Amino acid sequence: MGITGRDVFLGRVRDALGRSPGAPELDGATHIGLAVEDVRRSADDVRREMSESGDALLDAITESAAMAGWKVRRVASPEDAADVVAEICSEAGATNVLRSDQDVFASIPVDAALESKGISPGVATVGGAGDDIPTLKQAAFDADVGITGVDYAIAETGTVVLHPRKGLSRLVSLAPGRHIAILNWGDVLPSLDELFTLERADFNDDAIHGSMNLISGPSRTGDIAAKIVEGIHGPFEVHLVIVG
Amino acid sequence: MLPTTDRFKKGAKETLADPVIQMSMEAVYTGFHTNRQSAGSATEDWDGQRDRGRAIKEHTIANLDYYLEMLTDKIDGNGGNVFFAEDSAAATEYILNLARARDVKTVIKSKSMVSEEMSLAHEMEAVGIEAVETDLGEYIIQLAGEAPYHIIAPAIHKSQDQVAEMFSEMTGTDPGQTPEELTTTARGVLRETFQRADMSVTGVNFAVAESGSIVLVTNEGNGRMCTSIPRVHVAVMGMEKIVPSMQDLGMMLRILIRSATGQRISSYVTMINGPRRDEEEDGPEEFHLVIVDNGRMKLLADPKLREALYCLRCGACLNACPVYRKVGGHSYGWVYPGPIGAVVSPVMSGLQQGKDLPFASSLCGACREVCPVRIDIPNMLLHLRQKVVEGPPEERNIGRIERLGWKAWRFGNMNSNRFHAGGKIAHFLGWPFARKGMFSRLPPPLSGWTRSRDLPIPASSPFRDRFKKRQSGGGE
Repeated sequence: MGITGRDVFLGRVRDALGRSPGAPELDGATHIGLAVEDVRRSADDVRREMSESGDALLDAITESAAMAGWKVRRVASPEDAADVVAEICSEAGATNVLRSDQDVFASIPVDAALESKGISPGVATVGGAGDDIPTLKQAAFDADVGITGVDYAIAETGTVVLHPRKGLSRLVSLAPGRHIAILNWGDVLPSLDELFTLERADFNDDAIHGSMNLISGPSRTGDIAAKIVEGIHGPFEVHLVIVG
Repeated sequence: MLPTTDRFKKGAKETLADPVIQMSMEAVYTGFHTNRQSAGSATEDWDGQRDRGRAIKEHTIANLDYYLEMLTDKIDGNGGNVFFAEDSAAATEYILNLARARDVKTVIKSKSMVSEEMSLAHEMEAVGIEAVETDLGEYIIQLAGEAPYHIIAPAIHKSQDQVAEMFSEMTGTDPGQTPEELTTTARGVLRETFQRADMSVTGVNFAVAESGSIVLVTNEGNGRMCTSIPRVHVAVMGMEKIVPSMQDLGMMLRILIRSATGQRISSYVTMINGPRRDEEEDGPEEFHLVIVDNGRMKLLADPKLREALYCLRCGACLNACPVYRKVGGHSYGWVYPGPIGAVVSPVMSGLQQGKDLPFASSLCGACREVCPVRIDIPNMLLHLRQKVVEGPPEERNIGRIERLGWKAWRFGNMNSNRFHAGGKIAHFLGWPFARKGMFSRLPPPLSGWTRSRDLPIPASSPFRDRFKKRQSGGGE
């Protein structure tokens, strides 16, 4: 775009406001004025709370996730978690299962549990289930179930947070009819505010991801006669397997 | 979208006589409004959060040029492109040129009110690009060739049978389908479209100045599809949709979503920080943000109307409004219906044509009561009424007879004797035509009132006389 366009536009905004260029005086309404060190300190506090209150936060999200529409299963061990995942897939009659390539699958033996039910999962990566982006997309749309870990979860809202990146396709939690998310102890945040504190600290450190998805239950619509129906574009069924 | 705001009275009359719409509109109150009320009372410090939300918008809009510049720089830095559009034509031209340059065949659209200002899907179809609305409500009204009826529930006026009939004509399905079956039908059609789309157009719920992020709020997941599949993603936003910091988002999302549907959060909230990174598995290669004025500058320049730009487009004022619920969304004649529409539509699309809209309110204040950022809509409506009646000639719009009528009214009410005499005369002249103390049919112009409601006959003696009588022991 032409820089002139921008400058003319901004000039008009200033004229309408009767304002001269320059930084505004901050009145404390927005967080924009917080110093980098303060944000970092808040982020450290958030991380401390996530582990110090780990049990309570896991209890809280067990409840709020169910309210948001997740089918919640809480298990004690990684092996149990893997078995529950395999059970959900086989009960759904799934033959085509896709999972992300996240660390969680190193500690939770999902592949082995699925194999024991005769399901061999694909890995939703370019070079895995797809040769390139279009074939990966096709694989995601063809899958019956998509399985992912969880970057964070939010107790306030029953939300699972995912940052798409290498190993974590945007579509694996979206295109299959069912999504299973596996949540470990210590990854639960109290509320949306703590999530954005951490995001901002990452942003200040130049470590922010290209995008972020907050997922709180199944895909829903109320657009026909105001009746809530689940599964319009995304998954019609979502499972949260909580370990701990 | 070409404004038909001058049709307000006609549209309202038609809607009042349409039993299907009157029935469908019940849901905005029994559903959205009631859910919002309970969501608010279940949220800790709800009113305090609304105050802080308003303070953030007030600060941002007062320094809008500064935050727009910051946003633009950050998006450039993230590898995205920003285009500033003075009006909807410029925004449309930019997007159409981009689509041609990238050899785009199919565009998927997620809900965007600004793109409705532009009639973007229509403009795309006109140059041979397939443009499909993917929000189910928008999809339905696109099939029907209509404009949205409600900011967050575009097809709220359509009954289940009407939708079933439309789908049946399109796909040959059974015209007696349930909402679940209809949703499955739409899912099939739209998933096929998503997969072959090469460009998407989305709206923006919030843009974050400090990081160059945009945030999309959806329940259906079409916003996520639009930001995951096509090669090119274009986001369109009104210039006011900014918050300064990421850390402002938690609260803004909370007050927006709880006011809109009463949910604690919608199924999906998506944040986009530019195009797909090289190492990512999927996502659009290009990201464009189109920032649109299209008449907003007029709201910004008038200190009494500026706060209309704080609007989060949650739709709560529509649901709360006794007028909107009866006259419906299309009567307002432009993109934004309801109380907030009665302010922004006439200003953005022409006050002279939209002169009836500021009067489409009883000033009961329900809209101000429910607004997540406490926008004083009644006060702005009064300001616009004043402009229509007393403003400069290009805005003023009131007939000579009406002016004369109001002069007579003022004459009658300026003096207590005249006022009393007027009441008595009206009672005396009126009582033969009243039944049980009510007029149910009066000649024009009073017929405008009695067509859809009764008018009580003026009392035989004024309150003050009766009060005096009572005080002196006369009783009544």
